[in-house]
Amino acid sequence: MDALIVASLALPLLLALLVAQPRSRAVALSLAPWAPLPALALALAAREPLGLDLPDVLTGLQLGVDDSGRVFLLFTSLIWLAAGGFARGWFADDPRRARFMVFFLLTQAGNLGACLALDAAGFYAFYALMSFAAYGLVAHDGDTAARRAGRVYLVLAVAGEMLILSGLLLALGLAPDHPWAVACLVLGFGVKVGLPLLHVSLPLAYAAAPIPAAAVLAGAMIKAGVLGWLRFLPLGAAALPDSGQLLMATGALMIVGGSVIGLAQRQPGAILAYSSVAQMGHFALGVGAGLTAPALWPPIAAALVVYAAHHALAKAALFLGVGVVARHGASRAHLAGLTLPALALAGAPFTSGMLAKLGLKSALAGLPAPWADALPLLLVAGALGSALLMARLLVQARETPVVGDAPTALWAPWLLALAGVAGLTAGLAPFASWSATLQPGALLAALWPVFAALALTLAALKLRLGAPRIPAGDLLVPIERLLAAIVRLHPPRAARAARVAGTRDPSPAAPGIAPARVALRRCAVVGAARGFRVPADILRP
Amino acid sequence: MIADTWLPVAVVLSSLVPGLFIFFLAESRVRLRTTLNLAGAFVKLALIGVMLWGVLREHAYVFTHTVLPGVELVFKADALAMLFVTLSAALWLFTTVYAIGYLEGAPNRSRFFGFFSLCVTATVGVAMAGNLFTFFVFYELLTLATYPLVVHRGTEKALRAGHIYLAYTLGGGALLLISTVWLYGLAGQVDFAPGGTLSALPPAMAGQLQIIFLLLIAGVGVKAALVPLHGWLPLAMVAPAPVSALLHAVAVVKAGAFGIVRIVYEVYGIEFAQSLALLLPLAIVASITIIWGSLRALFQDDLKKRLAYSTVSQVSYIVLGVALFGPVGTIGGIVHLVHQGIMKITLFFCAGNYAETLGIHKVSEMDGVGRRMPWTTLAFTIGAFGMIGVPPLAGFISKWYLGLGALEAGMPWVLAVLAVSSLLNAAYFLPILHRAWFRAPPATWPDEHIPARRGWETVPLLLLPPLATAAVSLLAGLFAASAFSPLDWATLIADREYLQWTP
Repeated sequence: MDALIVASLALPLLLALLVAQPRSRAVALSLAPWAPLPALALALAAREPLGLDLPDVLTGLQLGVDDSGRVFLLFTSLIWLAAGGFARGWFADDPRRARFMVFFLLTQAGNLGACLALDAAGFYAFYALMSFAAYGLVAHDGDTAARRAGRVYLVLAVAGEMLILSGLLLALGLAPDHPWAVACLVLGFGVKVGLPLLHVSLPLAYAAAPIPAAAVLAGAMIKAGVLGWLRFLPLGAAALPDSGQLLMATGALMIVGGSVIGLAQRQPGAILAYSSVAQMGHFALGVGAGLTAPALWPPIAAALVVYAAHHALAKAALFLGVGVVARHGASRAHLAGLTLPALALAGAPFTSGMLAKLGLKSALAGLPAPWADALPLLLVAGALGSALLMARLLVQARETPVVGDAPTALWAPWLLALAGVAGLTAGLAPFASWSATLQPGALLAALWPVFAALALTLAALKLRLGAPRIPAGDLLVPIERLLAAIVRLHPPRAARAARVAGTRDPSPAAPGIAPARVALRRCAVVGAARGFRVPADILRP
Repeated sequence: MIADTWLPVAVVLSSLVPGLFIFFLAESRVRLRTTLNLAGAFVKLALIGVMLWGVLREHAYVFTHTVLPGVELVFKADALAMLFVTLSAALWLFTTVYAIGYLEGAPNRSRFFGFFSLCVTATVGVAMAGNLFTFFVFYELLTLATYPLVVHRGTEKALRAGHIYLAYTLGGGALLLISTVWLYGLAGQVDFAPGGTLSALPPAMAGQLQIIFLLLIAGVGVKAALVPLHGWLPLAMVAPAPVSALLHAVAVVKAGAFGIVRIVYEVYGIEFAQSLALLLPLAIVASITIIWGSLRALFQDDLKKRLAYSTVSQVSYIVLGVALFGPVGTIGGIVHLVHQGIMKITLFFCAGNYAETLGIHKVSEMDGVGRRMPWTTLAFTIGAFGMIGVPPLAGFISKWYLGLGALEAGMPWVLAVLAVSSLLNAAYFLPILHRAWFRAPPATWPDEHIPARRGWETVPLLLLPPLATAAVSLLAGLFAASAFSPLDWATLIADREYLQWTP
């Protein structure tokens, strides 16, 4: 088993190295899709908790598979396997696919490592590898949108890394339940999870990244943030009602806000990204509840792990399906393939979504007022929002003209992801209390949001109601405008700043280094005018 | 045993003797000069290996020579000295190899390598100095030996930088001399000893000791480039790349930082310095330097200048670690002495490669350079990520221990300094990496004079040193917890510096 743990991490890294080498590239590229196999085998084989201590590595690396880690490893490796196979078909004639695969494999190693690492420094190391290498996936296309997405992604990712590092140090150096430690960790991992304001890179990245990259971003990597919360927050150990309730309120905002803004999106990637924000709101809700009421944590944890597997697999399958439809059109089979994970996300009866949602609902049932009353409403709102978003996605997809048959290299990996969604339902069946699930009340509760969404969508189509448009990244746009306005206050300075920062086109400033630098320089100019000594090279680009 | 006395001297002589020979060699004796250089470097490393083994088993290597009554020249190989000596000797070897490739066919090579060896001799002397007087002597020798290297090219710009360099460092040397004499007057000979020796002085002298501390730190702070004494460093980057590499990684800047380590731990003693309330001001100065250096680096388009400001910032991590009261902070500061050296030397080697191979001196000229020089850019990437503090590279280990040390010392605000500094590091390094790997290369490079040949993107002598140091900075971080890692050695030092520590 130890060998399998090492192989899970070594194989993607080794293949990345071999793909980077021109001499071994051809062979390595053909092997690359199979890189997550050892991890998958490990997740399937590890019936009981495993550990592997490498005391010489970093500050004493501990790898292993515990109960929640095993589930994360299982769906993470499955998604990477499907996405890796899909990438081979998707990039069949892209001259830059070698570069893509190098970053893909590095990100994969980081993501699998985060599932396996049990110590703080080790987790942080793999998490950082994943975050930084994923820049190559987001920015791969190299057009304006991809560059903007990459820049926003990177700025937020670096900020997240620093918050996580500070949080881990505070937790280790002071106490795991120190309010600063909790705040830093919640926000740091919140960059991946998509907490409000930190979520702005999600819609840009999901829309700009190539489909296989978007599938792993939205399916697997976003869950690494959740795993960070589960691993390092003092859940079940300390009661932090203030932070907890704040996080729960944030989760409620994400559930409602994600659905509403998502409905105003055009690109499938952006619709799915806002759907992710809404879904991740459930995790904020659950983790917030765990901080508020430690006694409730064990059932909540179990429910969240199931929810993570459900959302990861469904979202990955949706992205791969969106890719197939984008290339080969909305044939009947393709639409059916999209509908299954869409129904799962909406929580329709007999899907993993229904089981996940029911599990979360019953785990959260013991919360004090006002949450006890608000929760059912919130979960219904979440289900309805998801159903509406999925309906919108399907309506859009339906209009894509059919172009030939999808090659095996695309549909087979998609089928694998769909099998994962279906398999999860079957796999959970023994554990779910079917008697509760099969009660007419529960079935009705799961069914009506789907029908309501269907009815609303059909009505909107009939009446030709167009959704209002909100640009992808919502609040990012005014932030960018503000930064651009600061730059524009000094037109010659704007041009110079653009030259310094290397952005060839000065007008669409994005949050990043250039405007920050210009803002700093403006402060220096004002300072100099007031008689402060300012170093000449800050004033003169 | 006679070897115990003469080993430290032999280590000093192993670069001094070849250096003196090289001065008198004709320019054309390339092979002999190379042999002498490399022989010196390898002999030094071998001697150091022997001493490392001894120091680990608490064996004492001390050489004493009385200059005047009460003024002794002392070389001593303790754990702290060995850390710095090993670093300098190893990086000297890499830099010598690199310099041989870099200066191939250039004029005045005998002069260059002569002073180069002198510079390392001085560094080793600084490292092994057993008392404040010996430290001062070699510290000044270092100034004089590096000046000819800074002005080596003889251009007007180089000469101006050299003048400023001399003005700063001699000023610092004067402060160091004054405070050394003052301290000798108060306490007699000031030997370096774990835990310091000054705590035995009567409490009435506390005020004087505080002033002397200020003077001492200001004196060595010039070389350590503490803000506002850092002005010379960015100018000195006009020197040839191997000199900059050595200056930034081991020789000058590190000698200053090492001086601060010695003064705090082995002259005053960390516990005594804490009781005199000297550590908090030092931590604040270091923090300001860290942030200021990073801020200034953001604005530099000249690659070496950006790296120079980055050095200003990074070297103060060492000072910050020294100022954190508690063994964990000590480990963080001391281990960064090594980590910063190997990472920064990698970055300067790479900058030299870009300049020598393609004529690239500016960040804005680096578009697509990763395709033309992938291996150099890989080494640069490792160095840059290490500086940001991304695991599993060496810089992460430093940052991890500094952060934990700050909490141990009751200074949680230091975490914010570290985080902001890391963000700024990312802000000035990541755009370079984006350019190098993701942008399209230009049709022609600014001044390509080493063509790619037989799979080598540049001359092997230029390519191999940065790859080796990049690998070391990866291994030093990845296997930080193993025996004989820099971290292990720094832990050993911290164990010996705290006398009454109870956490």
